[in-house]
Amino acid sequence: PCQNITWYLYSVALFFNEFLLTQCLMIILLSLFPEYIVAFNGYFTAKARSHFISSALRSAEALDWHIVLRENPASDFPSDFEVVQIRQASHSSLLPLEDHPYIKRVTPQRKVFRTLKAPCNNVTRWTQKWQSSRPLRRTSLSLASGFWHATGRHSRRRLLRAIPRHVAQILQADVLWQMGHTGSGVKVAVFDTGLIEKHPHFKNVKERTNWTNEKTLDDGLGHGTFVAGVIASMRECQGFAPDSELHIFRVFTNNQVSYTSWFLDAFNYAILKKIDVLNLSIGGPDFMDHPFVDKVWELTANRVIMVSAIGNDGPLYGTLNNPADQMDVIGVGGIDFEDNIARFSSRGMTTWELPGGYGRVKPDIVTYGSGVRGSGMKEGCRSLSGTSVASPVVAGAVTLLVSTVLNRELVNPASMKQALIASARRLPGVNMFEQGHGKLDLLRAFQILNSYKPQASLSPSYIDLTECPYMWPYCSQPIYYGGMPTIVNVTILNGMGVTGRILDKPIWQPYLPQNGDHIDVAVSYSPVLWPWAGYLAVSISVTKKSASWEGIAQGHVMVTVSSPSEVDGEMTSTVKLPVKVKIVPTPPRSKRVLWDQYHNLRYPPGYFPRDNLCMKNDPLDWNGDHIHTNFRDMYQHLRSMGYFVEVLGAPITCFDASQYGTLMMVDSEEEYFPEEITKLRRDIDKGLSLIVFSDWYNISVMRKVKFYDENTRQWWMPDTGGANVPALNDLISVWGMAFSDGLYEGDFTMADHDMYYASGCSIAKFPEEGIVIAKTLKDQGLEVLKQETVVVEGVPILGMYQTPSEGGGRIALYGDSNCIDDSHRQKDCFWLLDALLQYTSYSLTPPSLTHSKSRVAPPAGSDRHLPERLEGNHLYRYSKVLEAHLGDPKPRPLPACPHLSWSKPQPLNETAPSNLWKHQKLLSVDMDKVVLPNIRNYRPQVRPLSPGESGAWDIPGGIMPGRYNQEVGQTIPMFAFLGAMVVLSFFVVQLTKSKNKPKRRKPRVKRPTYFQQQQLAPTGKNPTV
Amino acid sequence: MVLRRLLRKRWVLGVVFGLSLIYFLTSTLKQEERTILDRNLLEARDPDHRIPWKVRFNLGNSSRQITQCRNSIQGKTLLTDELGYVCDRNDLLVNGCCNVNAPSSRQYICKSCLANGCCNIYEHCVSCCLQPDKQPLLESFLNRAADGFQNLFTAVEDHFELCLAKCRTSSQSVQHENTYRNPQAKYCYGESPPELLPI
Repeated sequence: PCQNITWYLYSVALFFNEFLLTQCLMIILLSLFPEYIVAFNGYFTAKARSHFISSALRSAEALDWHIVLRENPASDFPSDFEVVQIRQASHSSLLPLEDHPYIKRVTPQRKVFRTLKAPCNNVTRWTQKWQSSRPLRRTSLSLASGFWHATGRHSRRRLLRAIPRHVAQILQADVLWQMGHTGSGVKVAVFDTGLIEKHPHFKNVKERTNWTNEKTLDDGLGHGTFVAGVIASMRECQGFAPDSELHIFRVFTNNQVSYTSWFLDAFNYAILKKIDVLNLSIGGPDFMDHPFVDKVWELTANRVIMVSAIGNDGPLYGTLNNPADQMDVIGVGGIDFEDNIARFSSRGMTTWELPGGYGRVKPDIVTYGSGVRGSGMKEGCRSLSGTSVASPVVAGAVTLLVSTVLNRELVNPASMKQALIASARRLPGVNMFEQGHGKLDLLRAFQILNSYKPQASLSPSYIDLTECPYMWPYCSQPIYYGGMPTIVNVTILNGMGVTGRILDKPIWQPYLPQNGDHIDVAVSYSPVLWPWAGYLAVSISVTKKSASWEGIAQGHVMVTVSSPSEVDGEMTSTVKLPVKVKIVPTPPRSKRVLWDQYHNLRYPPGYFPRDNLCMKNDPLDWNGDHIHTNFRDMYQHLRSMGYFVEVLGAPITCFDASQYGTLMMVDSEEEYFPEEITKLRRDIDKGLSLIVFSDWYNISVMRKVKFYDENTRQWWMPDTGGANVPALNDLISVWGMAFSDGLYEGDFTMADHDMYYASGCSIAKFPEEGIVIAKTLKDQGLEVLKQETVVVEGVPILGMYQTPSEGGGRIALYGDSNCIDDSHRQKDCFWLLDALLQYTSYSLTPPSLTHSKSRVAPPAGSDRHLPERLEGNHLYRYSKVLEAHLGDPKPRPLPACPHLSWSKPQPLNETAPSNLWKHQKLLSVDMDKVVLPNIRNYRPQVRPLSPGESGAWDIPGGIMPGRYNQEVGQTIPMFAFLGAMVVLSFFVVQLTKSKNKPKRRKPRVKRPTYFQQQQLAPTGKNPTV
Repeated sequence: MVLRRLLRKRWVLGVVFGLSLIYFLTSTLKQEERTILDRNLLEARDPDHRIPWKVRFNLGNSSRQITQCRNSIQGKTLLTDELGYVCDRNDLLVNGCCNVNAPSSRQYICKSCLANGCCNIYEHCVSCCLQPDKQPLLESFLNRAADGFQNLFTAVEDHFELCLAKCRTSSQSVQHENTYRNPQAKYCYGESPPELLPI
């Protein structure tokens, strides 16, 4: 099925989705039991109908019933039905009604609810069925597929759902409008696909500039117009800040092409123009595009508030897009109008910090991004979904907020973000990697911002590792002595100035009454907080004395941030970070699984191809390959099976193997230090077990999947296959094992489970004593290279081996990682992982595998040559192990293992409040100080109602009254007049001519005779004139 | 027959002619107007169009008394004010100028700059660019500004703004879009882009 593999890379993409509603929508028919529709045989007046019903129900006296009033214009006219409410209705009580001569039938009243909730909550189930989460976005990216839902189409469906979707009013922007704040004096830049001249929705377009190679300023896609409309439209689908000064930057062509260099120049112009708020509904996975990332830092350092869309790659985790994943940018995720996280919205965590550290919490906030209405390309309104819709909602709100602040000096990227975060409303049952700090609350943000004092704050503002589900994944696994330290990556926001630093050292203060002395805390942080933000990494570990203790420990970390200030030298702000953890006794070795993160490489920086070659439109392996990103389902499964999973972010030489039952290496792309290979061999002799999920590696296929990257204008050759099989073979060769360079694909059954092998390799060599399972698969290599389908029988894909030494560990190999990876998984094989862990941890050989018919003799490795590294690959550029060398790259010297310096505890004899979250808000913010007017149903002045608008939301075409259309009105009569003049002059000329030559008329007068002549000679031919 | 007779009448022919003439005229005129509109739209990007340079080279010399300074705002630790002084953030005065008496303050620093006019530190680039003897270089650059920069450099108002804008990394600073030509010296006040280093 997957021939002709074509690849393409996206580094920047527009974010919008087609209406997901058709897939997600479910209609729930709720039978409201007390109400019945009584249908009559004809049309009767209300009085007559009431009479019929009461006469019919007279027999059933005990019945408590009344007619439901329908207050609509139609109620004055005769009708053929009535809605009756009957309490304690049973079927028998309805019989007299049905027997009445004028009553046709009685049916229960049903109410139709539409909600996205039910199926969308089920996302994790869905991913397994779906071939991919990406095609949604891909198709929406191509305009040809017509992702716009033009106004007027599906109007029936929209009618039901349209009314609540006026996003500015849902967020109560009208309260601020009423107070006279409409965004005036705030410069907003929209970096998008442009805007047509004189769009009827905008009153203050200051400037349009084009930074692309297309010579136009107009929007050919509608994306830029929509985004600008959500921010600043003044009529129909109202934006947030209609009086703001719009600066339109066209950085995307109609073919959706964009280059970093265009952005660089456009950003420079935005800095020069002193833009206040900048919306970027654009993003891509390449956070290592240094010129771009540096430029975004430069922008925010120049006080530009950047708002960006988090990405449309959900529901997969680890799919955040740059620049929204930067600390200085407000990253916005999408929700629907029922407050569910939109399926498409990208999920955290950030993956910059892997493998050694841990990701930050992103998105920052979420807001409506599904079925939001905004300006159409030329006029009218449209609905659109995607995080590129959610981003301008926040950008518009931010613009409006900026205009409410009297002292604009106080507004900067950090203080705005602090206000949004502190005011956001947390959604129940959603974790922080999906919702960030919660849902945007415009009015509370307004209150906070208007009583704001410059200060530092933290995101997240507390660490409660027991709080589920918000603090997922921390809450999913308690900590214990001897485990890898739990790292929480906190972002420090500094509203005091663009630069700041942490004064002295952060202090760890355990609460003695709350067992704070049971944990050790180490803190590392950015040397300089620039621009406006920095990180504070808190590593938590259990002290030795608590190895068999169980309980909850609390304390706090105290940080003082200082910023240079022109007025009085230094400004400081002290923040407390409460910490709460759950400690359990150290689990037995067999229950502990170590996940090797260190040897997983990803895009960016290098081209590491996808593990499933059938996924043509998502060529890159970019989700981080972490147990909390695209191996999240596997992690959850292992947790539910009682295993404790830890992550190794350092070389294999850096862990104590006697603590762990199994080391898992899944889809590894990195090379190995020689020291690692010897250490692992020793560890396995001493009882550590190893599970390897490999992937494909075939030089010919790798050459085939190279592609020309339009964004970087160069050829991209993969640096490894799905996994780095030659390196893996070096690692496992001591046990006489090796993977082949074969590439197989296909469905099969193993131990009564349906399985799918998605681009995996086979086992080429395995020790004689081992158990090997072989299956019949298709040779995908031939399919890719020659478009031939060849079925190969007896492909060894699974091997299990007990090492011979006394107390030695076990090794299990499987050739494909796709069945435990969330991205593009079709059929999961968690049962197989369970079976393998039973084997490696408890030495229980699964009988369903050992006694299966598919068991074959282990291959000796003689018939097939082993894969070799692709000549001229650039892996050394991205590798932590290799370095460039004359000839072949050589391993670097083994780096030192990471060392944490534990903070000296300063115990406190106090207790923490029971609710850490409520306690942690911005300091010195008095919410009651800023009073909001409480007036409803106010129509703001900025919203001139156009004639067609009154009730309907969609104005189909039509010329809007206003000065923009004057031109058209003037030209049409001019042409008519000109034409009339021409015709008139023609007639004048004719008239004068005929007057001058009266003789010419004579033959015409004689015509009757001419006709007579004709009749006389019937055989003659008709004269032709 | 009737039709043919009708067609022979001159006034009918006249009306037909007149209508077609109106149609012809309207369509041609309309088209003409559209092209005019387009040209108006693109005028800003016309390569032959002379850029009205607004830059005034009012050079910051010490004789001029300045009460309020603009500065480079963004720096992590350093700042450059419009007089060309580079100083530590802590040595910035309330009026936005560098404290001239502070030990860290220096005027016209080209310390991290190479001969081709590219510097390692942005603030040094701006300071160096503000040096009075760089004026001819900047003027010649302005006259031959690359196409993509017209938007930017037509909006620049004076020497300081020009230096701030010129020193920023731009489309000229990158190779393969996502890599700097020279990550060590990427801020250039001169005409030439940074030296191209292999990846």
